[in-house]
Amino acid sequence: MTITSRAARTAPPSQHAPRPSTAKATRSGSRIDPTYYWMILPVLALFAFFISLPALVGVFFSLTNYAGYGDWKFIGLMNYVNIFKDPAVLQSYVFTFVFALTTTVVVNVVSLAIALGLNAKIKWRTGIRTVFFIPMVLSALIVSFVFNYLFSNTLPVLAERYGMTPLATSILANENLAWIAIVVVTVWQAAPGATIIYLAGLQSVPSEVYEAADLDGAGTWRQFTSLTLPLILGYLVINVILGFKGFLGTYEIIVGLTGGGPGMATQSVAMRIFSGFTGGDYAYQMANAVIYFLITLLISVIQLRIIQRRGVSL
Amino acid sequence: MNAAVPAALLSRRSLIRAAGLAGAAALIPLTGCTAAGGPRNGITTLRFMQNKPEVVAYFNQVIKDFEALNPDIHVVQDFNEGNFVPSLVRNDPPDVVTRGFATETAEFVRKGIFADLSDLPVAKTVDPKFQDLVNSWGQYKGHETSALPFSVAAAGVIYNRDLFAAHGVAVPTTWDAFVAACETFKAAGITPIYGTFKDAWTLRQGAFDYVTGGMLDVGAFFKDLMAKGARISQQAPESFSNHYASSLPKILQLASFSQNGAASKNYADGNAAFAKGQAAMYLQGPWALSQLVQANQDIQLGTFPLPVTNNPEETKVRVNVDMALSITRNTPNRAAAERFLNYLLEPSVVNTYNEKNAAFSPLINAPADSNPHLSGVAAHVGEGRYYQGAGTYFPPSIPMNNYIQSFIYNKNGEQFLSTVDAEWRRVAERTAV
Repeated sequence: MTITSRAARTAPPSQHAPRPSTAKATRSGSRIDPTYYWMILPVLALFAFFISLPALVGVFFSLTNYAGYGDWKFIGLMNYVNIFKDPAVLQSYVFTFVFALTTTVVVNVVSLAIALGLNAKIKWRTGIRTVFFIPMVLSALIVSFVFNYLFSNTLPVLAERYGMTPLATSILANENLAWIAIVVVTVWQAAPGATIIYLAGLQSVPSEVYEAADLDGAGTWRQFTSLTLPLILGYLVINVILGFKGFLGTYEIIVGLTGGGPGMATQSVAMRIFSGFTGGDYAYQMANAVIYFLITLLISVIQLRIIQRRGVSL
Repeated sequence: MNAAVPAALLSRRSLIRAAGLAGAAALIPLTGCTAAGGPRNGITTLRFMQNKPEVVAYFNQVIKDFEALNPDIHVVQDFNEGNFVPSLVRNDPPDVVTRGFATETAEFVRKGIFADLSDLPVAKTVDPKFQDLVNSWGQYKGHETSALPFSVAAAGVIYNRDLFAAHGVAVPTTWDAFVAACETFKAAGITPIYGTFKDAWTLRQGAFDYVTGGMLDVGAFFKDLMAKGARISQQAPESFSNHYASSLPKILQLASFSQNGAASKNYADGNAAFAKGQAAMYLQGPWALSQLVQANQDIQLGTFPLPVTNNPEETKVRVNVDMALSITRNTPNRAAAERFLNYLLEPSVVNTYNEKNAAFSPLINAPADSNPHLSGVAAHVGEGRYYQGAGTYFPPSIPMNNYIQSFIYNKNGEQFLSTVDAEWRRVAERTAV
């Protein structure tokens, strides 16, 4: 919602003369139907009360030593200073960013491939499409519990039977490999959503351009890189941006698969922040949350710029 | 960000007014809560929060009996312990509380959440050595009694009596005999100890707590450590690096007696496998006993304390105060709450509970525990040869379970202890201010 209105408001100045005058006319106010305000007001009030206000309370308590109950006092920026000295927190940042980057790349490669396949004139296309979209309607927590069982029990048994010794112990128990399992399950869960967006993009490409390319003698790969990809670039940007933002907040799939372990190997930032509610570390993790908010805000602003340059509107 | 767009269209004054209304709305439920409590129609309603959802039925019966004797009191049971901290935030805590007694509860004691119970006559019926388990965590103002123990659980090595008999292994009383027993089972193709490393807490509760508690004076160590506060360095004699290094090889040796693939088994898998006789021993507490019997009615179980030294006299068992009774300081129903607490500590109530739940009664002159599963540790508990697990001393903000799991996998003891030292110091620093 924000992005649409932002894009709509910032777009006109770059255009030619007539647009600004219409913008000025609507801004004078007299012609705006008050109904629009009544449509916005309830949402604004709910947003302010349930999101902005609690967030500000959180920022306030990040400057104290509040444990979630009992006495507290102001300690200034001590929590923030301590966060930067805490290797466990820094490790969770490294893990989260590596995970989000990898997952974004894999999700987009996989879902673009699936979308190309589903867009082709194959047999039983509708049925196959439905099958591919099932992961999207399943709860992430349930999916990850099922995969947990597969990784811990089924996969090792199969690997042992066929003599693949490296896989004979669960990869969830391996500190260096557990994150790959999390990427796999996240991709399995997130790919259908991205595929839908790519399918919409592919269907917007007119078939004439391919016919022309055929006449010019372009091969399939050349058609993909020179025609399909540039024409659906906007959809790619949307997928990358939405995906990356979502994967930064990863939580429930990790809870279902490894619970942050083995050891501290797969602790995401969101998990560390949430631990503050049970661990009497409320104020400290609030400071962590504020820092994380600022980082994601920065990333969002950069991405917004990229979107605007690409002329994509969400 | 989202608010920025419409905010430009609204006048500033109306925004402030809206914020004021929202603020007022937030206060209404808060003031509503404090009005609760106090007798109504001559009947006082007590809220009783207990920490074990699996024994709700027992306490429902206890409450029914109590209400029959005390028609002017009505008791409501709440078994969702997660409500406790929010109730403190709302300043509307339950009247009578049971909690497992460890770091987190000790923190409530330090903040003066609970009333002093030392003047209650019933406090004299509690065995002082069990009361010390509670008091060792620190007393409010240095002398108050904030909680009375209700149930003490003793955890050791659960063993399969049939497998021990079949291979002619006696219950070991020294570390060497224990290692020899493990080797015997290994040679016979039987897993000596069933490992459930995937659930990191089982490693902390089992191998880590048993070995450190069995060979070190854990209680005294943490007392010194806490007295030091944030001024603790890795080189200090009070540090983990200095104190715990000697115990680590034995922890790794214990872990090495587990089956292959222990890293992908969790607690539920462990219970199922052990009940089927897939291993001779299992490092779990009494809470696992009922699960094992449920899975296999015919299994013959026993418990012995893990001998960590070669002197049988030194062998100790891990105990924890599984339930301790408290009255919250601000309750408006203090008199009624005391009557209920007195009733809960009547021998018929407290002894029956512990008899039924494979635990030990904290009362003086409690009848000897006749549970065959616990006969191997009953003597140690009776003589006070026990310790509270080192893992229970860590505040929840230190992910100790994960660090122990990491150590079991990498076997890098130096790194493990220096991490714990640094983490302990950081938490002490930020909670000290």
